[in-house]
Amino acid sequence: MWHFLRRRLLASLLTLFGITTITFALARVVPSDPAVVYIGPLARPDEIARVTKELGLDRPLYKQYLSYMGDLFQGDWGRSLASKESVLGTIAHRLPATLELIFLAMTLAVVVGIPLGIYAAYRKGGAPDLGARVGSVVGISMPVFWLGLLLQVLFAEWLGLLPATGRLSLEMSVLDPITHITGFYLFDSLVTANWAGFRDAASHLVLPTITLAAYPAALITRMTRAAMLDVLGQDYIRTARTFGLGERLVLWRLALRNAMPTTLTVSGLSLAYLVTGSFFVEIVFNWPGIGQYSTSALLNLDYPAIMGITVLGATVFLFINLVVDLLQAKLDPRIRLQ
Amino acid sequence: MRNTWKLSTPLVAVVAALVIVTAGFASPARHSSSTALLRVATTAGVTTWDPIKSFSTEVLYMANIYEPLVYANPPGSSKPFRAGLATNWGRSKDGKTWTFTLRQGVKFHNGEKLTAQAVKDSLDAARKRGGASFIWAPVTSITTPNDYTVVFNLSYSYPMTLVAASENGAWIVCEEALKAAAADPNYFESGKECGTGPYTLKSYESGKQVVLAQNKDYWGGWKNSQFKNVVFQITPEAIVQQQALQSGQVDVAGSVPVENIAKLARNPKFKVTRDASSLNYLGFFNTKRPPLDNVLVRRALAYAIPYKDILTVGAGGFGTQSRSAVPKGIFPYSPTTPQYTQNLVKAKALLAQAGHKGGGFSLDLTYAAENSAEGRFAPLIKDAFKKIGVTVNVKSLLFNQQWKLAKDDPSKAQDIFLLLYWPTYSDAGSDNLWSLFHSSKKPFFNLSYINSPLYDKLVDGAGELLGTDKKASQAMYEKAMISLQGGAAGFFLYDADAVFVASKSVNTTGALNINYPFVQFIYAMQQAG
Repeated sequence: MWHFLRRRLLASLLTLFGITTITFALARVVPSDPAVVYIGPLARPDEIARVTKELGLDRPLYKQYLSYMGDLFQGDWGRSLASKESVLGTIAHRLPATLELIFLAMTLAVVVGIPLGIYAAYRKGGAPDLGARVGSVVGISMPVFWLGLLLQVLFAEWLGLLPATGRLSLEMSVLDPITHITGFYLFDSLVTANWAGFRDAASHLVLPTITLAAYPAALITRMTRAAMLDVLGQDYIRTARTFGLGERLVLWRLALRNAMPTTLTVSGLSLAYLVTGSFFVEIVFNWPGIGQYSTSALLNLDYPAIMGITVLGATVFLFINLVVDLLQAKLDPRIRLQ
Repeated sequence: MRNTWKLSTPLVAVVAALVIVTAGFASPARHSSSTALLRVATTAGVTTWDPIKSFSTEVLYMANIYEPLVYANPPGSSKPFRAGLATNWGRSKDGKTWTFTLRQGVKFHNGEKLTAQAVKDSLDAARKRGGASFIWAPVTSITTPNDYTVVFNLSYSYPMTLVAASENGAWIVCEEALKAAAADPNYFESGKECGTGPYTLKSYESGKQVVLAQNKDYWGGWKNSQFKNVVFQITPEAIVQQQALQSGQVDVAGSVPVENIAKLARNPKFKVTRDASSLNYLGFFNTKRPPLDNVLVRRALAYAIPYKDILTVGAGGFGTQSRSAVPKGIFPYSPTTPQYTQNLVKAKALLAQAGHKGGGFSLDLTYAAENSAEGRFAPLIKDAFKKIGVTVNVKSLLFNQQWKLAKDDPSKAQDIFLLLYWPTYSDAGSDNLWSLFHSSKKPFFNLSYINSPLYDKLVDGAGELLGTDKKASQAMYEKAMISLQGGAAGFFLYDADAVFVASKSVNTTGALNINYPFVQFIYAMQQAG
């Protein structure tokens, strides 16, 4: 296992290095003047020249690259050209907003998707199965931004039940702000007994969470159903039933355990999707997370921010893949033996 | 059945949890807090909190935190300027010396008194390192004969009231902050400020929100109906701003999709505030690339443009067709400057005269991908040019990319560059007319790359006259604009209105001023009823 882990970590590091290098090169190839991004297009030519020198953009590309990589390994991810703020600092500040959303969406997706998939498989051909299948097709096919807008119109505008945008109401953020401890508003408000803040934060999480969870929930439902059907058709399941084992035991202990590797893989991929899917959700709901920051960085061609987000995204993906592989090995002895 | 129920238990639990949780919520807007809080959705990000360097969208906040010496009044006002931090001003006969008398009893947000020295230090800093330092070009020195008098000594006559009223590069800052910024260039970036304005910066979260609080010692005083706290939610998407407004989360939406404004205007809960602005849309013809190096071809294309349709589609009707590069209401606008109207017959005749009968050539047109108005009307230009046999390849690029393409090699740049422009301060002669079409060795904003000695002479001459004889200056600028129309180095689409939508509970009278684009003056807004 350690040998496997060492190999995977080394491969991950090499992959990360490659991604960073390619992104750096691509960012420089795209036509744009970083000095103009920094100082604004209305600046005079002499000002732009001054900033070009100040930012080191007049140095050869390889020197800029080496300088960037050196700073990166020392924890300096540079400063945003647009906001002038530390990229790492901004990412760290915004990350909890995205993680909170992703965590809740993933939880919702799993809590809904796995039981629904099991139920659909168990009641194959019946109304629940049909409902689950139609629902999963809709969930997979519907564009996430469209679903988000639809939910806003229905629940915020027409019914007035939930807020349409943001992480907290503006009144709350001014008059009774949640004390920042971790940046996870639900947790921070709970530990500081700010119940109004908790309710406010929770109400703002409902629509974006449902929006983000729709696709992975649908995918997990579908894949769980398929895996369960495959397993339920096996001889040993038939044998277990013949021997009088209870349905609950058959489904949850025998069938699900053997269907889990597929479900786990899909869940892992879904988690990766949630990271990118959150981009659209954050735009639609004006959610101040990494997705919104990334969109702004891309539209502004803000190279340091783009690089920082790429490094973060690549690291997350590689980590998730590694964890999923390790869990697979844990669940399936055959993988361990290999 | 029992097992089935148990299978679906987690599902039922989730649904029940959701119902319980949402049942306890009400849209916060239905239980709004103190009515002294104004909630605004805006696209205005902050590129810097340094009032000296500031030259971008953060002007929305700067204009509510800081003040200039004077304010430019909207057209039609009884006086062109009103008192800001200066109550009196005048110039010498030759226009090269301007004296401003300061308002007494004004304090900065840190308690310092406003003095002539603070004004001198602020404006010297702006001249030296300001984002808009060029506006102070006429000034050779600033002196302070006493605590409440500031004297500008100029190398040539120029109306300094225009410069002193600028929304960029003319803010007055306290000395403590100026000294700190001189020692540490990033002093302001953590969200520090030190103005005299009606609001202080209470908090700032980058890309998320800005909170301003009342400056209780503001020299202008306070009425009960004015807003004491303002929170700006930075919301880049117009449709999301609309959602926030309609769901009651905000009171003011600075940008809603223009095609939805009419619908919101019909809603009894909302009010549309509209005023002329100094923003205008224009396009450059690349005169370095054939066949656009032929003035007849450029005129032909100028006649082919569907100006009315562009105004309807691009601006949603919120604007007026431009007459040259100077927006309506800003000096030296003239209602008699000729403007092109669509005339395809004339366009075809001119093309034939130029040796391009039936068109038969193609052009690359670029517009800023971030600009939804340009995205709407660029295809109209393409369709119109097709009718005279000219093919247009429309390319949507991020502004920075479009800009770089134009600034590199003109012979390889786009043929048509669409641009949204506004003057740095209320002199579109020395700004728009000069910046956009005056020749220079290395083009800055002159992205038609035109070099017209006649035009240059007229614009330079008009600029020199402005300080002593405004009427003569206006007359010369008008000749320059006529020359510009004849040369057709560019085409002028429309002057865009400033439009925002607010809840009827907010009285927005006085919030907009054509001389201050991108700014809403919160101090002027009041709770309605």
